Amino acid sequence: MHHRQCLAGTAAAVLIAASAYAQTPSPTTPPPPSASPHETGTTQPGFKRTPSPAGAYVYIGWPNDGQVLHTTHIKVWFGTRGFGVAPAGTTKANTGHHHLLIDVAPPPMDQPIPNDKNHLHFGLGQTETVIDLPPGTHTLQLLMGDADHVPHDPPLLSKKVTIRVVAAEGSSADTR
Amino acid sequence: MKRIGLPFALAVGLALPTVAVSAETKPMPENARVYIIWPADGQTIPGGKFWVRMGLSGAGIAPAGIEKANTGHHHLLVDVDLPPLDQVVPNDKNHLHFGLGQTEAHLELPPGRHTLQLLLADDGHIPHNPPLYSKKITIIVTP
Repeated sequence: MHHRQCLAGTAAAVLIAASAYAQTPSPTTPPPPSASPHETGTTQPGFKRTPSPAGAYVYIGWPNDGQVLHTTHIKVWFGTRGFGVAPAGTTKANTGHHHLLIDVAPPPMDQPIPNDKNHLHFGLGQTETVIDLPPGTHTLQLLMGDADHVPHDPPLLSKKVTIRVVAAEGSSADTR
Repeated sequence: MKRIGLPFALAVGLALPTVAVSAETKPMPENARVYIIWPADGQTIPGGKFWVRMGLSGAGIAPAGIEKANTGHHHLLVDVDLPPLDQVVPNDKNHLHFGLGQTEAHLELPPGRHTLQLLLADDGHIPHNPPLYSKKITIIVTP
């Protein structure tokens, strides 16, 4: 049943696509897809960047800038406006996935975002996380990356927030 | 013209039963949860123009049509009860789809009491198993 449906759907799609081509014998045929840039190494400069629409931005919804937190177990939620969230590897216009920069300056914007303890990737398309930070002052900043973890053009970089973590009394496992 | 007509008829004819009969549902992690970050239950909103912030924990957001395990996209139910959870979420003014993978929704509601509820659905707009829906909240819009 399911199989038959898929076959019929594929056949219909192929026919529709074929007829669309037939109806538009335009001389300006689209260029053939070029080789995928992410197969050519990740450290070379001038990585291809995905455009972002005017008005789109990302922000840290929680915690607030200047917040004092009496726990080392901190929930962070990621805000996005005028833009969608998609898992890594998804090439869809006006989407990307979040990266949380902790205690670090923004990386180069024309290369894939590093993947380490200062640059957390949320490649499943997560829109929040819980991190553990030792007592002290810390900075948090969000940077959207495209299917290949490269920031958009212009980049969707949040305001950097500074928080102060104060040693919690007793347990630090304050799961909000 | 006839050539195009037949596949269309086939596609429609085969698509209809999936609406009437239970569709296949995709699994979600046990701890996954969807919730409305803002507004709060019982909140009064002067003017009625506001952004709803949509929260998801323990899973990811993917645009409609993107098939990836443990992901889905938000649907905001306005002034309506949950639809059948084994079928495609309706697409109308009471069931708003966020198929780009948006996590905020801009609403303009007339004065009065309104209910808001989130329902996550998969790449084909069908809720997961178990279904991920938020608590239904009530807000009061004042002029």
